[in-house]
Amino acid sequence: MRRQSRSGFVLVASIGSLVISAGTATPAVAQENPLTTSVDVWMGRRVYLAQCGRCHGVDGTGGGETGAPDLTTGTFASASTDAGLFDIVRDGIDGTAMMGISPRTPDQTIWQVITYIHSLNLDPGDYELPGSVSDGQEIFRGKGNCSSCHMVGGEGRRLGPDLSMVANRRDPQELETDLLAPDEEVAPRWWTLRVTQHDGTIVEGLRMNEDTFTLSMMDEDENLWHFVKSQVRASDRIKKSSMPSYEGRLSPSELDDVVAYLFSLRKERAS
Amino acid sequence: MKRLPFILAAAASVPLVAAQEPSPTIEATPTFSPVTWERLLNAADEPQNWLMYSGTLDSQRHSGLDLVHAANVADLELKWAYQIPQIERAETTPLVVDGVMFVTEAPSNVVALHAATGRPFWRYDHVLPDDLRLCCGRNNRGVAILGETLFMSTLDAHLVAIDARSGNLLWDREVAEHSSGYSKTSAPLIVKDQVVTGIAGGEYGIRGFLDSYDAETGELRWRTWTVPGPDHPDNATWAGDSWRTGGAPTWITGSYDADLDLVYWGTGNPAPDWNGDDRMGDNLYSDSALALDGDTGELKWHFQFTPHDVHDWDAIQIPILGDVEYEGETRKAMMWANRNGFYYTLDRQTGEFLVGEPFAKQTWAEGLDEDGRPIRFPGLEPSLEGVIVSPTIVGATNWWSPAYSPHTGLFYVNAFDGEQEYFKREQEYVEGEYYSGGAGRRVAPVDNYQSAIRAIDPATGDIRWEFPVAPRSSSGLLSTAGNLVFGGTVGGYFFALDAASGEELWHMNVGGRVHSAPMTYAVDGVQYISIAAGNVLFTFGLGE
Repeated sequence: MRRQSRSGFVLVASIGSLVISAGTATPAVAQENPLTTSVDVWMGRRVYLAQCGRCHGVDGTGGGETGAPDLTTGTFASASTDAGLFDIVRDGIDGTAMMGISPRTPDQTIWQVITYIHSLNLDPGDYELPGSVSDGQEIFRGKGNCSSCHMVGGEGRRLGPDLSMVANRRDPQELETDLLAPDEEVAPRWWTLRVTQHDGTIVEGLRMNEDTFTLSMMDEDENLWHFVKSQVRASDRIKKSSMPSYEGRLSPSELDDVVAYLFSLRKERAS
Repeated sequence: MKRLPFILAAAASVPLVAAQEPSPTIEATPTFSPVTWERLLNAADEPQNWLMYSGTLDSQRHSGLDLVHAANVADLELKWAYQIPQIERAETTPLVVDGVMFVTEAPSNVVALHAATGRPFWRYDHVLPDDLRLCCGRNNRGVAILGETLFMSTLDAHLVAIDARSGNLLWDREVAEHSSGYSKTSAPLIVKDQVVTGIAGGEYGIRGFLDSYDAETGELRWRTWTVPGPDHPDNATWAGDSWRTGGAPTWITGSYDADLDLVYWGTGNPAPDWNGDDRMGDNLYSDSALALDGDTGELKWHFQFTPHDVHDWDAIQIPILGDVEYEGETRKAMMWANRNGFYYTLDRQTGEFLVGEPFAKQTWAEGLDEDGRPIRFPGLEPSLEGVIVSPTIVGATNWWSPAYSPHTGLFYVNAFDGEQEYFKREQEYVEGEYYSGGAGRRVAPVDNYQSAIRAIDPATGDIRWEFPVAPRSSSGLLSTAGNLVFGGTVGGYFFALDAASGEELWHMNVGGRVHSAPMTYAVDGVQYISIAAGNVLFTFGLGE
């Protein structure tokens, strides 16, 4: 499942993202993004596709040879403010393949690119959800038994993704799909590895690392295992999720509550 | 022997130390003698040295050293490590001349090290302007040497000559205007008394060329455009004025056949990469193997792998030259596994197509016709909506050096069976601006795809063995007379395979991503194997 463009929400989202620099990384020209209209999104998109898409992908989700990061999560590894993003687009990041944009590019164009990147980001202001956050939290811990695998804020177990900031990377529709059809999109980290040792014993666990020579995984008791491939009889990948579908296990309104709770779990951008 | 007085003076200072130490078993001797053209022609005869980017002029990347071999390679251990001070992807292949190693660093620097210890003699830091135009990072892949002079490409599209004994700059020649989108990353190739050197900038709408410079003076000897001008009939393979911004860069090192006096070089993608609407036609000589006269640069033949490319499948691979038994005859061949997913054997005298078979997953062509031209499936060009095609933008292989062993008769290549969603976009050319005409989107995480080192029979294109790599590799390869193939992975492994069977014989977790190619050399009868990983150059040898 891929994120859909939410350009219809852009105007609201952009105004909500006006930023005052915290003073750590301040471009010389301006501390706030002055260009945040839907026209700026459109202009920024043109520049993004021409200058950024090769590495960060046409949809901003990154990947590829350069290891360019996903720009759609709303949080960035090397900047927490628009002023910081401006500096990165202008100057690049030393020691990475991230090059600065052409020196001939006007500052206004850089602000428009940043506005376009924010249009790819999740913004809670774009959504009105029917569920109750507090009811969802209760179901998460109780009836849904979600904590038996997932951790939130240090509570819970380790057999699924830590959901403390899940709303930074998943929108409500995706969260609902995750609950109803967990096999639809399983990240390689959450595949199951099934290792058959020479004595015939089998160890299964969640795939923490798999490379040319070794395997690392966590079994259902949260034990960490490491295998050298040449020293086992076989290793197989099970690309399904170990999570059950909540179709029928939770009522539609309970699902709404869980989605509302999960969508409240985010790290806010600095402002 | 004119440096004899210096030696005597140095020797006179030794006893002060020697008196306090156990008797040394090896007397120190001065090192490094000039690298003549004859030495380069016969580089295979001195396997203790690695005298050019691909080892020898035929670019087989095969060493005659066999002190490390299949039976003892498991005893390899780390001998020394050199920390590159720049945090950037290390793509260098060092040279070694008589015990001195020359290593290039990002962005455009070079350091000379003692090859047995990794300790420095000197360094040269090239001063760069701020307004570089680079598609893919601040990289340099290596130097060339002739006499006592090193030749290096720099990111601001210059060629510099550096004194190999001191690191002093001898001359600095602008090859092209960097602010227009030109840059240089690859090691030059010495041909007689010339420095033959390519150019990068295929994502900036440059017009590609291959240059030759006088090694002594830095004066331009010849320039051969890889996009012919209106005075040449092949200019008709470009619609309108699109040839002016047609790309076809030459950003990896070529090869040379002294008997035929031909220089061989690959060319990159036509520009813009993913939108061919304004450059209808075959777009010669993009994505091609070129054969040029060794004195004049005149184009003798060309073979285009991917006519009218719209997937960014540069023919930027090292042309490997060797004799191949083909249909009962020994042919002077060129072996080439291309980014487009097909392996080719060509006759290197004439450019005649002999063999062409897929060596990695490809979904864009039914096959190749009798002349080696691809028979395309319709509808797989990049589109506004996106279209999924194999290979990826990165390719079935890339600039990662392949290798060839004359002992096994096998061609070794790092292959990737990925897939990519390709998009086309409208884009106008602006000088010095990125000019790609589209972009890609990954279809699934890389873990879903197969990557492997593959051994190919050049007489048939058959894959004889493969060694799976997970998740993938961006490493070049090295073949040795010890019946070994060395390579690395982006996961941080360096490994040795049996050249005949592909069986893994040794590996080491070196931690950093391997984006370089291994090389080997010997000092005082000890064989070393070096690989750059992350920002460190690691050198291995057998345990005592």
